[in-house]
Amino acid sequence: MHAFGFVMGLLAILSLYILVISVVHNPEISNLPYYTLRTLARISATYLIALVTGLFFGLLATTKTGSMILIPLFDVLQSIPILGYFPAAIIFFISAFNGAEIGLELAAMLLLYTSMEWAIFFGVVGAVKNIPTNIVEAAKSFDLKGYGYIRHVVLPAIVPSLISGSTLAWGDGWFFMIAAEYITYGGKNYSLPGLGSYLAKAAYVYGDTNLAIVLLIIITILVVYINFLTWHRLTEKAGSGTYKPILRTDWPKGLALSGIRRFTHMPHIPRIHLSFGFRHAILSSPRRGIYSRLEKGMAVVTVIALIFFVATVAKPGLPSLDEIRGSLLIPEMANLPFYTACTLTRLTVAYFISLGIALSMGILAAEKKGFAMIFYPIYDIGQSVPILALFPILFVSLSQIFGGILGLEITSLTMLVADMIWYLFLNIVTAVKTIPDEIREVSQLIGMKGLQRVRHVVLPAIRPAVVTGSMLSWATGWNTVIFSEYMSYGPKVLWLPGLGSFLDKTALQEGNTILLGFLLLIMTALVIALDRLIWRRLLRKAERYAVEVM
Amino acid sequence: MKVLEVRSLRKVFPGERSIIALEDVSFEVGKDEFLCIVGPSGCGKSTLLRMVAGIESANGGEILFHEKPISGPNEKITMIFQHFGLLPWKTALENVRLPLEVHGIPNEEARKIAIDYLGKVGLGDFLDTYPHDLSGGMKQRVGIARALAMKPEILLMDEPFSSLDELTASTLRREVLRIWADSNLPTDTFLMVSHNVSEAVFMADRVLIMSPRPGKVVEDVKVDIPRPRTEHARDPKFFDTVEYIIRVIEKACGGKLPGCEINDGIG
Repeated sequence: MHAFGFVMGLLAILSLYILVISVVHNPEISNLPYYTLRTLARISATYLIALVTGLFFGLLATTKTGSMILIPLFDVLQSIPILGYFPAAIIFFISAFNGAEIGLELAAMLLLYTSMEWAIFFGVVGAVKNIPTNIVEAAKSFDLKGYGYIRHVVLPAIVPSLISGSTLAWGDGWFFMIAAEYITYGGKNYSLPGLGSYLAKAAYVYGDTNLAIVLLIIITILVVYINFLTWHRLTEKAGSGTYKPILRTDWPKGLALSGIRRFTHMPHIPRIHLSFGFRHAILSSPRRGIYSRLEKGMAVVTVIALIFFVATVAKPGLPSLDEIRGSLLIPEMANLPFYTACTLTRLTVAYFISLGIALSMGILAAEKKGFAMIFYPIYDIGQSVPILALFPILFVSLSQIFGGILGLEITSLTMLVADMIWYLFLNIVTAVKTIPDEIREVSQLIGMKGLQRVRHVVLPAIRPAVVTGSMLSWATGWNTVIFSEYMSYGPKVLWLPGLGSFLDKTALQEGNTILLGFLLLIMTALVIALDRLIWRRLLRKAERYAVEVM
Repeated sequence: MKVLEVRSLRKVFPGERSIIALEDVSFEVGKDEFLCIVGPSGCGKSTLLRMVAGIESANGGEILFHEKPISGPNEKITMIFQHFGLLPWKTALENVRLPLEVHGIPNEEARKIAIDYLGKVGLGDFLDTYPHDLSGGMKQRVGIARALAMKPEILLMDEPFSSLDELTASTLRREVLRIWADSNLPTDTFLMVSHNVSEAVFMADRVLIMSPRPGKVVEDVKVDIPRPRTEHARDPKFFDTVEYIIRVIEKACGGKLPGCEINDGIG
């Protein structure tokens, strides 16, 4: 069955390639297989590095000293919007290698690596912390120590979250691919051979929206195909060996194995890991994100040191105080509050649109079982579309209708929604599915009607999931907002007022690394402040009355 | 006088390997009766209870409540659950009030009734406490208050004591018997599912023994021990009845020891 699917899928993709190459007229179309392999190799190699280091640091972080340093450090690092420090990395690598391709390749891999690392790292840490006490005690009573303990208890315990972390990491890799492969810096375009850069070129250089759409579809098919071949099968296999209690759902067993579910190889239970994602790994630990003052202090110092490191290696020699003042006191700085407000508004609007759609879908899934059946495949394909790759296509077509700036604004919002909605959607639908049978039965027994059920049962039951989903969707939204506020194609540069475009302009046009570091610091501070002041508080509150899973 | 009549009931769970949960199940429950259904795991006893509650449909046969077929939830039949089935985001009072309000009882009156019933189960001081902060026994008391507040005729209980520790369970068992015997309460017919045979013999007038899947009634045992049974719990008759029922269950399982079946996730 699997082998059959594999061969059929491969044949389908090969014929798709032959079809595309023979039908499409474009000077570079014959390079399509080469671009595909380059992109695949880039993402795979980075993934392997991220896997090994994630596993290493993750296990290290479960030791006492390790957890004191690594967890707060990684927690802050993952709050830095990746696309925010990418310009700094580009500047560094391009100047270090005098613009040679290897420099670009390393910059791209660094971007991909940072997008992948956190999911794997926090997956490992969360899984080790969630090993049930009785298993740990049983292992102790049988005198299982050191290597034996790791081999028989820790490794099996982290396999499921390693897989779900990998699924996330792999998806993030594709998400950032286009940003990594097609770079504008100092008015010049640099591109690495790959699917992402080809897509960007199709839209900007050749002005061929149709080709861009074809490429986007090809990329999506590739992602879905690879997901089914690897992660889904692994998730299915790993599902039976987890320590997690099998959550009871009201899907009769027969139904669960039949129809779309089997056809799409949708794993049933292990998605829970995925839905709570890597951020939840720290929250679900007993420490619950409340770090000691020492840990916080260390993390802050490390981050500042890191930013200075990036800033100074990019521009050799420690900047003098005057230099810093000169770099920061540019006229545009006066707009900083306005830019911040713009970006926050953009994110808020996109967030509420996403929340509205995701909530309606979650309620539909709760009320009509048929919807839940189709929502998972939708999620699967929807989240496989690399959202950043939508940017050129959307922009080129929307700017023709609405003109440049309005087109860019609509593009930016659409991309934010398309990006933010999936975390909300998956968390909400999963929460709906895991409402315990007894609670459903109670609502049935009491005779609650649609709206009453939504108000008294469905909405409160999904509240923690809404909060978790919101945290994750804001985190990813920051990246997208940086990417989508600034647009340079050909000689033209368009930008929307916002923190993201300010950052892009500073880095990519002016090469002002000190200002870049400063903006990055502000952005990170905003992300962390929102996280601590809003999301974590809400989560703690929501979890207090959350459904206890039997 | 019979309140409930189950006639050749059949239940099939469809699927690739469809499962016959119940086959030709028939019995009657009289007014004021305390009936207990026992059987090995997976014999469909919980499914049967849910069908009486009207939240699970039959694939054959029928259930009559006062001679009328049950086709959906009925406010005169309420249920308490193994894991209590409380809404975690509502206080004890709100949990008890909710069914009353859903059935159109005005807010103020619903509140009064809910406070009254929570008082009856000894939770007068915990009206505004969330389930999260209540012990297992207290949660089940809220469940009982919620079920009784609807003034049902039949109270269904799905292994109501099996997620409690034995001391709490034994207190609650006596309390449930007290409620059953209380002539001031309109609820006088109790139907309980259990896999604890001594519990069944201690509480029930009749014990219905079911076979493993497909679930059938193999025997209907009348428990002839005078009440209050606390005083007779050391009686040889008590132990003989328990022993007899266990024998019948073992025989129905075909000599296999109950508890050795592979968990298939149903039941």
